[in-house]
Amino acid sequence: MGLSEFFTDYTLRNITLGTSILGAICGMLGSFAVLRKQSLLGDAISHAALPGIALAFLITGVKDANFILIGALISGLVGTFWIKGIVKRTRLKSDTALGLILSLFFGFGMLLLTFIQKMPNANQAGLDKYLFGQAATLMEEDVWVMAIVTGISLLVLLLFWKELKLLLFDPDYTKTLGFNTRFLDILITTFIVLAIVLGLQTVGVVLMSAMLLAPAAAARQWTNSLGVMIVLASIFGAFSGVFGTAISASQDNLSTGPVIVLVAAAFVIVSFIFSPERGLLFREIRFRRNRRELHLKKTLTFMYHIVKEHDNISRPHAIRILNNFQGYTRKTLNKLEDERFVRIEGNQWSMTQEGFNEAESIYNQLGNKND
Amino acid sequence: MTSAQIEIQLIAALVAIACALPGTFLVLRKMAMISDAISHAILPGIVLGFFITHDLNSPILIVLAAITGVITVVLVEFIQKTGLVKEDTAIGLVFPALFSIGVILIAKNANDVHLDIDAVLLGELAFAPFDRLLIGGTDFGPKSLWVISCILLISLILLFLFFKELKLSTFDKGLATTLGFSPIILHYGLMTVSSITIVGAFDAVGAVLVVALIIAPAATAYLLTDDLKRMLVLSCIFGVLSAILGYWIANFLDASIAGSMTTVLGLVFLLVYLFAPKQGVLSNFFKERQQRIEVSLLVFLLHLQNHTEEKERHVNHLREHINWHKVQAKTVLELASKNNLVKISENIVSLTDKGQEFTDEALKYITTNKVTAIEELKNRFFLFRG
Repeated sequence: MGLSEFFTDYTLRNITLGTSILGAICGMLGSFAVLRKQSLLGDAISHAALPGIALAFLITGVKDANFILIGALISGLVGTFWIKGIVKRTRLKSDTALGLILSLFFGFGMLLLTFIQKMPNANQAGLDKYLFGQAATLMEEDVWVMAIVTGISLLVLLLFWKELKLLLFDPDYTKTLGFNTRFLDILITTFIVLAIVLGLQTVGVVLMSAMLLAPAAAARQWTNSLGVMIVLASIFGAFSGVFGTAISASQDNLSTGPVIVLVAAAFVIVSFIFSPERGLLFREIRFRRNRRELHLKKTLTFMYHIVKEHDNISRPHAIRILNNFQGYTRKTLNKLEDERFVRIEGNQWSMTQEGFNEAESIYNQLGNKND
Repeated sequence: MTSAQIEIQLIAALVAIACALPGTFLVLRKMAMISDAISHAILPGIVLGFFITHDLNSPILIVLAAITGVITVVLVEFIQKTGLVKEDTAIGLVFPALFSIGVILIAKNANDVHLDIDAVLLGELAFAPFDRLLIGGTDFGPKSLWVISCILLISLILLFLFFKELKLSTFDKGLATTLGFSPIILHYGLMTVSSITIVGAFDAVGAVLVVALIIAPAATAYLLTDDLKRMLVLSCIFGVLSAILGYWIANFLDASIAGSMTTVLGLVFLLVYLFAPKQGVLSNFFKERQQRIEVSLLVFLLHLQNHTEEKERHVNHLREHINWHKVQAKTVLELASKNNLVKISENIVSLTDKGQEFTDEALKYITTNKVTAIEELKNRFFLFRG
């Protein structure tokens, strides 16, 4: 498939636009979910939306995307607030509450779906696309709805920016300042639910939580600022959508949802490894460098103790006597020679004046610290 | 009832018990969501196993999938240890990725794999009796019945052998470690048993509903009892109940068996959540209301004790002075006179001797900061509670 076709094909353009907008809104709102330690809430909500989808169909009798959206939204909200109720009112912990609502609502939804499938009503086919999502069914109206919701949530985010930020990092302080934390909490939760419900048609119930988490978790690695994180997460989310759609369109039998999730997961892996501040790779490199430096210093001070006993500091000693010392390697010795702290001749070493001064200063520093 | 119906109910009941046992410990150890992660993440293991064996009930497939489950746990814990993201985010990142790999594997090989994505999510209990174990031409019943029985037997044996270790490490990890039980071995043991159970239950009830069977009975039982053994028994009972009731509801509605089992579990949980004697929402509501009225009563008695002048003790004045709503003032006044703590003559309220004594003692406890002792005091003085 050529690149030009990618932009001119009507369906493909809709799918690409839809998944990228979806990725952006998920990244934006997912940042809040991740920072509020509500990562798994998305998983629970997306599953809890299923009975709403089925009930909306049962009540209205038509497969109208908007009714189904509203049904999913209501059922998702009921699930969310029931989770909060369980955690608040009983001794069950949040993980149990999440798992409970997730599986119970989903089971009820499946009961309804299988019930609907057996009904004589013919146009029910296609409700189960909400399980895994079918990006291919995205219409231009769907994309518009997504764009409008994204716009509204962006507006609300900007409007309540400082309140939400404060709530995120210090809820108690927010309360003492007189902000209505309950309202803010409901506001942000509702928008998270809304984003999830929007994504159900595209990536499906099961994989929706990853759409919410992955871009935010990846973005978190690159910055410590909330604003930057949200922007980055939106970009990551949008790119996951675009790349995922492109990859799945280029091959047969490749559903869009799982591919988008895998692309987002790739973003996460890359961020985990390569982010300069927190990344595993640079952390390991820093760790190694520090350890090497420490070894070097330790070897030098050890030599200093030997040399100190003699009048002539440059008197040669056998390398052999260093062997028992932990942290000494041939490499550290060479390194010390490169720095001109020691001279090596055959299997003997001797300390230079520079090395002696350096070692003395390290030793004094250590001594002062111990005092 | 046909023999197929009996077999389905038997399988469902055994699956429910097998899930409830590890579920109890997962709920108590606050690791309930890990079962969700495992149940999704074993999909690639199952698909790979299916490529090799072409049989969903083959032991090799179960082992492969269980290994995938344990790998999931290790992966989640590795990400948690790096400290790059918060704990639950690690779970939320790992399992969708693994699940996606599984879905893609199925989709790419849709032609040669007899594995349906719907079946993965839902399971198909109704077909279980058709896949029979035949040894030398003799029919030994459905294969999945044997699989789940073996798994249940293993977890029962392990439970009896390591009951006290599990109990101790669940409630007091520190003490368990000092006594020399390795929490790591117990942890991964539990994870392995959970993974195997989930795989075994997988083709009966599917990926998501197995989570319901693991968490819901245990959570419901936890609201009813404080005793571990009783909790285990109760959660098994809830599981079996949902299996059998669920089967008949599904039969009646002609809908998914697993879905209706979960719905029954949901209803049972809802009932217990509302009406449980100690933990339930309603009982908490009444307890809170009683507390509120009794605190008001105490405030009222202290006010009476502080004021000897009649003007301060007039019924109407009290309402204004303490600024209570009419209804609450009436409730409190009635409660006080029912308990013989006050007497009312010509709309003037005064403490009785008993009321005087009660107020003195309560005041003593309040000033010495022994507020908890007031509960015992109430038991001694009150004929009626608020």
